[in-house]
Amino acid sequence: MAEKDVIVVGGGLAGLACAMNLAADGTHVHLVSLVPVKRSHSVCAQGGINAVNEVTRAEGDSEYLHLDDTVYGGDFLQHQPPVKEMCDRAPGIIDLMDRLGVTFNRTPEGFRDQRRFGGTLFKRTAFAGATTGQQLIYALDEQVRRWEAEGNITKYEYHDFLSPILNDNGVCRGAVIQDLFTMEIKSIPAGAVVLATGGNGLVFGRSTMSTICTGSASARAFRHGVRYANGEFMQVHPTAIPGTDKLRLMSESARGEGGRVWVPKTAQDSRDPKDIPASERYYFLEERYPKYGNLVPRDIATREIFDVCVNQGLSVEQGRLCVYLDVTELPPTTQQKLDGILEIYEKFQGVNPRVVPMKIFPAIHYSMGGLWADYVKNQKTGGLVEKAPKNHMTNVTGLYAIGEADYQYHGANRLGANSLLSCIFTGLFVAPCVASHIAATAEAVPSSLVDAAKKKETERHNAVAKMNGSENPRTLHDELGDTMTRNVTVVRKNKALAETVAKIGELRERYKNVGSPDGGGWTNQSVTFVRALDDMITMAEVIAQGALMRDECRGAHFKPDFLIEAPDSDDPATLRQQAVEWCKKFKAKNDKWLKSTIADYNGGDVQFSYEDVDTTLVPPRPRTYGLKGAEIIEEVWREQFSEKSPVGAV
Amino acid sequence: MSSQTATTAISPREKYYFLARRLHSLTGLMFSGFVCFHLLINATVLTGGESFQFCVEKIHILEHMGILVPVEMATIFFPIAFHALFGIVILLTSQSNMKDYPYGGNIRYTLQRLSAVVILVFLTMHIWHMHWLGKPFGGAQFDPANATSTAAAAMQSWSLWAPIYAIGVAATVFHLANGIWTALITWGVTIGPRSQRVAGYCCVALGAVLFVAGLGAVRGFMTYSVADGNETAAVEQVEESGH
Amino acid sequence: MSKRVKVNIKRQDSPDSGSYWQTFELPVEDGMNVTTILLRIAATPTTTDGEKVAPVAYDACCLEEVCGACSMRINGKVRQACSALVENLLKEQPEITLEPMTKFPNVRDLVVDRRRIFESLKRVKAWAPIDGYTPRGEPDRMSPSDQEDAYPLSRCMSCGCCMEACPQFNDKDDFIGPHAVSQAILFNTLPAGKPLESERLDALAEAGGIAACGNAQNCVKVCPKDIPLTVSIAKAGRATTIHSIKRFLAR
Repeated sequence: MAEKDVIVVGGGLAGLACAMNLAADGTHVHLVSLVPVKRSHSVCAQGGINAVNEVTRAEGDSEYLHLDDTVYGGDFLQHQPPVKEMCDRAPGIIDLMDRLGVTFNRTPEGFRDQRRFGGTLFKRTAFAGATTGQQLIYALDEQVRRWEAEGNITKYEYHDFLSPILNDNGVCRGAVIQDLFTMEIKSIPAGAVVLATGGNGLVFGRSTMSTICTGSASARAFRHGVRYANGEFMQVHPTAIPGTDKLRLMSESARGEGGRVWVPKTAQDSRDPKDIPASERYYFLEERYPKYGNLVPRDIATREIFDVCVNQGLSVEQGRLCVYLDVTELPPTTQQKLDGILEIYEKFQGVNPRVVPMKIFPAIHYSMGGLWADYVKNQKTGGLVEKAPKNHMTNVTGLYAIGEADYQYHGANRLGANSLLSCIFTGLFVAPCVASHIAATAEAVPSSLVDAAKKKETERHNAVAKMNGSENPRTLHDELGDTMTRNVTVVRKNKALAETVAKIGELRERYKNVGSPDGGGWTNQSVTFVRALDDMITMAEVIAQGALMRDECRGAHFKPDFLIEAPDSDDPATLRQQAVEWCKKFKAKNDKWLKSTIADYNGGDVQFSYEDVDTTLVPPRPRTYGLKGAEIIEEVWREQFSEKSPVGAV
Repeated sequence: MSSQTATTAISPREKYYFLARRLHSLTGLMFSGFVCFHLLINATVLTGGESFQFCVEKIHILEHMGILVPVEMATIFFPIAFHALFGIVILLTSQSNMKDYPYGGNIRYTLQRLSAVVILVFLTMHIWHMHWLGKPFGGAQFDPANATSTAAAAMQSWSLWAPIYAIGVAATVFHLANGIWTALITWGVTIGPRSQRVAGYCCVALGAVLFVAGLGAVRGFMTYSVADGNETAAVEQVEESGH
Repeated sequence: MSKRVKVNIKRQDSPDSGSYWQTFELPVEDGMNVTTILLRIAATPTTTDGEKVAPVAYDACCLEEVCGACSMRINGKVRQACSALVENLLKEQPEITLEPMTKFPNVRDLVVDRRRIFESLKRVKAWAPIDGYTPRGEPDRMSPSDQEDAYPLSRCMSCGCCMEACPQFNDKDDFIGPHAVSQAILFNTLPAGKPLESERLDALAEAGGIAACGNAQNCVKVCPKDIPLTVSIAKAGRATTIHSIKRFLAR
């Protein structure tokens, strides 16, 4: 009964949550993963997972405020019903993970401890040391192993997803995968395929992402007709450690526990940072954002680092974006909570961050955009309709996208500790939806369809293996990464973006002349890489072109040329007038750009369109973190421009 | 690459493996007790042939009661035979990697197995050499009735016996001390690194005492003048005067 | 001008073929680690003899020592390639030697098949047997000291280093390995894992279970996450003994 099976591609938090939930209800799951699932990129998440809890509730917090923080932090670019559903279910998810044995940090009395993360004023973030992602994924990995022992899950580890199997009506009926040990290509029929394949940071060369985060599965789905949305929204994490092979993350939890960001007031001060007195240190985030301090949303922190380093020339190291992240003044018990991440710094930099302030740099970190995925709004609650087959289904029937691989939840900027939540939530939530879909599918998968798909991918594999041109695929990847990192990260300008699009076009041409340097029949990593390079070029096109077309500033997408000038008059009347003007421009901008970018592959000719965003729960308002004249803008906006909040939303 | 099923039906090997390993540990501990006893008694030869003869006769009271052989079999021979045979099984499953990982614990692990082989050879020779079991094979030079002089004569009968016994004692004492240290972990007595370290010191001390006693005994028998004495008569005299 | 490093790599083309050595030489970069060496070789796979060869196959993922993928023998000792900094390795010896792990079947070059690790986790049922995934409210509290005992064990990333270094883990014995013993103890400690405590102890008392441990204690020395594996092993020794005696007496 292959048509009742489900293929889940990706063994990170989302994929595992989905697989275990499906298996628990008796569905047979084929779990496909590039690496043993326990090694998926979710292990790199450090800081924690957000949910409203008893402590924050006592301070006035609610699921609605979690929703509000999330969409405000995301600059209102996300559909709000899924976000509401996620925030509503977040407390239950933390309880579930606790029941599964996740070793969350505890208060002296034995309750789960919480810390504060960026973009909120509440301590919503539960955490397990400084390796929360690792602890969460292990709990799910164990559950999946449990169902594997029961026979409900079949694992395909070290397998690459090559393509979905689509029938003549464009309905997904399985997937073609490749064993990365034997290089054997397999075709698996199924009632539905769930893609939980993560982000695409490797498009930027080095990022905080793992070596497997090429976005290739998404690109392969994209080429098979699945829409890709908001590709240009890539989160740049403000604090990472540069390395020769990757940029290692220094978690936001370092700041959540009281770590402070600063630069010496003298440019490139050559003194030992410990010898620089407080009066000669510029704690720029605390000075510019008194309310949020070091915990402003990531896009803001990154841009301020850029501003301080580039515009003010105060970078700790010339020619790079480098600032100090200082945890040396924290008490040892607090430092202990950060051991996991401080160890990483010490191990890779050879400097003890408990004694010497860390040198940190911004780095590409998370794909807010992803495969377009549908949702079914519950008109009564404002959230989602449970078990509706369309939830998280892409525009291809039977093909689902969840986790970082989809485009929901985070809009233009993701808040820290919301990713673990969105991944587990989507995995758990989508399972009954997928089950409803397969329950309604009775038609068997014809073997001719399965065989044809396998044949096609085998031919493609053979063609790639035979590529013997003069271009080195690694060089092309380096060039791609360099141009993307230079032009499509923190600050984006149309001229540079246009050059980038042209450069990608050039790389696309040169790709045809690539040589695959390995003729081996086992674990041929060259073929795998050459194929992924093709996918990364496709992803780069979507990202760069989307960025070029979006003429505004929104969340992580920052185009200074389209910045609305902040009110700055000293005269109250003029200031007010300026604020009204600002709000008018802002409203006009929102009317035009408060839309998701939708990319369609269309046989290689990528086409872009825009989709309205459901903002019915929290009316959009200007995001004024630290903006000059924020107060007057907010006042004017409330009086003259704001839509009414829907009844019952508070 | 789907995974194979995890478990199959439980075979006898599966079922009794744990028991066998625990018995192996237990028999080791039993034999350790015997070795302590044995070496310390042998060391009494240093204080004169009579004291050793006296001890041997005390033990051989069991013989007069007719239970020496059963007791010896039950508490010494069968345990050590099991320990040795199952030890060979364990030995065959190990793969020393001391060269790559020259850590203290790993070196001791390897030495434990090496010493086991040495002991196996030594013990065979020793039994042939001294014990009545060696009689059919032309050994068994030790006579409890004239314990000190026959033992000394046996030791002095070949120039290599002294070094062989010295090596045998060294191997035995190491195996015993390290065996007790690992047994404490195996049975879950010493759990943390600190308690294991302290247990280690204790085992070193025990080993040192036994090693000195063992070498002392070898020296005692080597230097005992066989022609000198009738230690049995001496003991009888002592006993009579005692009454 | 710039410093260069020679890297000797033990290679193998497929599971059934023989192994051979190749030497590569490349410039040392600031903060360079072994995974970067392999990345550079993949870009220009030319040996010191000038021969163009196939890139060296290797396993790597997170590159920050939390995923456990890149275990290999570096200068004879098993460890994670990502955290092996070239600068430090050159202090040990003038050239770097890379070999695949020896205790797992080789697939190609430095890639090995470590499925046995995960199979042993199945044997000890290292999971919380909860009823289902629908909300059941907040579970019982846990004291901070219990959390501090459990957390280090829960950082085990199944990298296989403890097994590679264990003289008792080899194809002559079916020892489940230190990591699985430790995971069994972790789940026997956690309230969530308690219901299967007795089954886990049964599994540990089977052939290849805790009794196979020879107390060489290499595992704790090579563990990249400093997991107190020997403490878990001793705890398992005590628990299985008591469990077995109790079970015997209950019959």
